[in-house]
Amino acid sequence: MGLNSYLVVSALLFGIGTFAVLTRRNAIAVLMGVELMLNAANLNFLAFWRFLHPAAMEPQVFVLIGLTVAAADAAVGLAVVLNIYRDFGTIEVNRIDTLKG
Amino acid sequence: MNAPGAQIAFYSLSALTLISALMVVRARSIVHAGFWLLPCFIGVAGLFAALEAHFFFVVQLLIYAGAILVLILFAVMLTRDAAHPRHPQSNRMGWTAGLICSALIIVSAGLLTRQEWSVTAARPADVAGQTRALGEALIGRYVVPFEVASLLLLAALVGAIVLAKAERGPEPAPPPLADLGGEAREPAGAE
Repeated sequence: MGLNSYLVVSALLFGIGTFAVLTRRNAIAVLMGVELMLNAANLNFLAFWRFLHPAAMEPQVFVLIGLTVAAADAAVGLAVVLNIYRDFGTIEVNRIDTLKG
Repeated sequence: MNAPGAQIAFYSLSALTLISALMVVRARSIVHAGFWLLPCFIGVAGLFAALEAHFFFVVQLLIYAGAILVLILFAVMLTRDAAHPRHPQSNRMGWTAGLICSALIIVSAGLLTRQEWSVTAARPADVAGQTRALGEALIGRYVVPFEVASLLLLAALVGAIVLAKAERGPEPAPPPLADLGGEAREPAGAE
């Protein structure tokens, strides 16, 4: 399979993740959408690595850092969500609208 | 590379990934959406294997399908009341968001596939060579990004613990040490 098929799959996955971020009311579902988008980005990186520069190390290092950021993002994001749930009693993103705690 | 086996593997892995991603987005219950993430992550891991990125195949399974998924499911269970299945899980912007996302997909896929990429016929190294090269790059040329990533993980770890720690009222003052000793010995003497 050529590079273009991977790019199309990755674009579709990114678009689906964006849809989740735009439409979901639950903050955890929004985070799931962000995880889908990060996966799409990693897929794109590895597809370019495989088809354009299979000997280069930079894309792999980028993907590794991306995975680290995704893990940190999930941990901190979910901790924030738990804190919001404790304070507001809900994690619906359009009902959390006060800046003062 | 264009063997029929590889094509079948690519199409089935892509279908698995995209269909379960759609189910993540559209599932009525947040718990179902969380569990649909698992086939999606496994499909992406399979695509990594099809790209001959063997190390990232394993890492994807361990970190996404293992750690992040469990973390997300924990958070779903801990905020269970807000996740009642009868409650609508999506807002009323479905059509607008669908249009925006379709435009995003069409534009980005169109731009990316229209480009003339200079694809090489070279193949990446085998599993051992690739992993060894990545490890050497991480402790050699890219040691600074590697250390920054580890600092980021440490900060995220501490931050998550501080944020998620249950808030309690002020702790009751511990009794003086003499009383503690007395209490500990008392049951034996009292009876």
